[in-house]
Amino acid sequence: MNVEGCFYVNATLEKLMLDELRNACRPGMVGGFLPGVKQIANVAALPGIVGRSVGLPDVHSGYGFAIGNMAAFDVNDPLSVVSPGGVGFDINCGVRLLRTNLWEKDVLPIKEQLAQSLFDHIPVGVGSKGIIPMNARDLEEALEMGMDWSLREGYIWAEDKEHCEEYGRMLNADPAKVSMRAKKRGLPQLGTLGAGNHYAEIQVVDEIYDKWAACKMGIEDKGQVCVMIHSGSRGFGHQVATDALVQMEKAMKRDNIETNDRQLACARIHSEEGQDYLKSMAAAANFAWVNRSSMTFLSRQAFAKQFHMAPDDLDMHVIYDVSHNIAKVEEHVVDGKPKTLLVHRKGSTRAFAPHHPLIPVDYQLTGQPVLIGGTMGTCSYVLTGTDQGMLETFGSTCHGAGRALSRAKSRRNLDYTEVLDKLDQMGISIRVASPKLVMEEAPESYKNVTDVVNTCHAAGISKKCIKLRPIAVIKG
Amino acid sequence: MFKRKLSALNYPQVDSLNTSDENEVKKVILWLEENKIKKYKPESRQNIRNINSSEWKKSYDKYKQDLACPIKSDVITDELDWFIKYALELEYNSKKATYEKHTVENLKSASTPNVIAANPLDHLDFGGKDFESGVKNLAQILKISPHPNPLITLKAISKVVCNRLSRNAIEKPNDFIIKGTPFPFEDANLGFDLGDVLLNRAAKILTLLYIQNLRDLQTKSNELIVAAQSITANPKTDTKLGKVGK
Repeated sequence: MNVEGCFYVNATLEKLMLDELRNACRPGMVGGFLPGVKQIANVAALPGIVGRSVGLPDVHSGYGFAIGNMAAFDVNDPLSVVSPGGVGFDINCGVRLLRTNLWEKDVLPIKEQLAQSLFDHIPVGVGSKGIIPMNARDLEEALEMGMDWSLREGYIWAEDKEHCEEYGRMLNADPAKVSMRAKKRGLPQLGTLGAGNHYAEIQVVDEIYDKWAACKMGIEDKGQVCVMIHSGSRGFGHQVATDALVQMEKAMKRDNIETNDRQLACARIHSEEGQDYLKSMAAAANFAWVNRSSMTFLSRQAFAKQFHMAPDDLDMHVIYDVSHNIAKVEEHVVDGKPKTLLVHRKGSTRAFAPHHPLIPVDYQLTGQPVLIGGTMGTCSYVLTGTDQGMLETFGSTCHGAGRALSRAKSRRNLDYTEVLDKLDQMGISIRVASPKLVMEEAPESYKNVTDVVNTCHAAGISKKCIKLRPIAVIKG
Repeated sequence: MFKRKLSALNYPQVDSLNTSDENEVKKVILWLEENKIKKYKPESRQNIRNINSSEWKKSYDKYKQDLACPIKSDVITDELDWFIKYALELEYNSKKATYEKHTVENLKSASTPNVIAANPLDHLDFGGKDFESGVKNLAQILKISPHPNPLITLKAISKVVCNRLSRNAIEKPNDFIIKGTPFPFEDANLGFDLGDVLLNRAAKILTLLYIQNLRDLQTKSNELIVAAQSITANPKTDTKLGKVGK
């Protein structure tokens, strides 16, 4: 190991982590991913890593890197690497939160209609296709321009760009580095939610912990209605990552890069493969932002139709948009010296402190809003970045609940009708494309998001601001 | 290199002029004298008119002397340049009134309404007691704490008047006066510590001013984007394309 590996847990989460490790070490256990603890250690042994290999409280095993792992590499060290496994297959998967000036009592009477309207506007599920007409040329432009494309075409508002990480556009994106196959997969999928843990939810503010920060976000009181969209770059990002892994294996052989795990395929940042990956990853990130922007447009339309009011009059502004599967070049202080780092955040959200130049002007005093999506039927949180987080985790925190049971195990142990009934009892309207996959996403399959968030708050790497609970869920 | 200047003087053979041919240069000098400079009377120009004569150089040197040409180099094109400039100067001075209509200052003032010269503010005595007490009174009426320098107080007053008392702000206060919710500025995290309460307070105020500046800039950028959108935007949806997956 080149640096230390560490993870943030409370007692409950620690037990889950160590159980995972114990199960993996039982005789006869082969195949599947390595346990998260081992993966954090393997990442700590990668060349060029600085600081620590950090596991956030929601960490669980994934391809190569654990999901919920932050690792930063010194850009000026010629040995440093970039790894697609450190970003994940769903490049720039992220969460966007819209506020409204509606209250729970305004929405409850037409909750079902509103859920249906959202479901009709936003295509969901595996193999879904979007309703925004796009041709190949539009896609090329969208890949290069990110949210600037959505702005130019009039799908979103100028303020949306202001409240988005990177202003919704990675400037180093190069669509020419993306394979034809990825583009073919991506084209019909723009403006779709996808499947898996992705969702669109109508939520209400359940608790406000930091009144002033909430007020800066336009959240006035409990009961205010918000819309949360959790989605990524769909098949496009998956193909970009798959293509890159093939290239990286070649580069590893050529440059004699050794890793503890074959899944940690990587290339030197400054090698051709490394640069090509960063450029295509940026294009996939732009794809994801355009995707979330298109769904923002569609959600606004759905609300406008139900309430017979313009989205402007409903004050449907974007509070923030975070990316939790991405690698970015950032300036950080390491051992008292400023350094340029390539920060991989996989299942980890950027959480910059107040006064950081890269966060929007409206949040200069509060710190960057961090959106933590819960699981179906559980609550979600808004946190804010802290100075301590800048020092300990290079401004990174958790991203969600984090899986506790594998998908296969959830399917075996749970019954989908029970899951749906339970949501119904909780008063949550649900629209789902494939009910039989619902149990994979049942709250029982995940860690408790409140445990995760409280751990981050207690560790000081981010601060609790708002708690939201769902009243309607749209899922793939 | 002489083309523009000569065409400004309406020299007939501008395009075919070849300055490496000494004879042609002589012809230009002669043309300038005959049409523009007119140092000699027409009847006494005979000597320099005779450009092929061996005596020409002599009469030319005399001509230079008479015009007080300062060029000492023996390169005739340098001298030509001076003659052209001299001719231009004469030309300009003779029609000064016409040309001055087109100076930048005059063009500017023509497109803006005439400023009334009798602006009472121009005659104000900014250092006087009357001015000072006037500004102080105005500040009191507008509830602005006065600065020892009345000019700075006046600046603050102007800001309040422009932002809060403009016609727009009075007619539609909801649209033009920015509504904010008070933020507990004392508790705000500054991000650094200068080790002195007063300094920290000052730094906080500067930070807030900086943030306000940044907000203004961002608002202007947003306005720019919206203006561009009014030309480019054309959002479309086609529900026939939609497909819900499994």
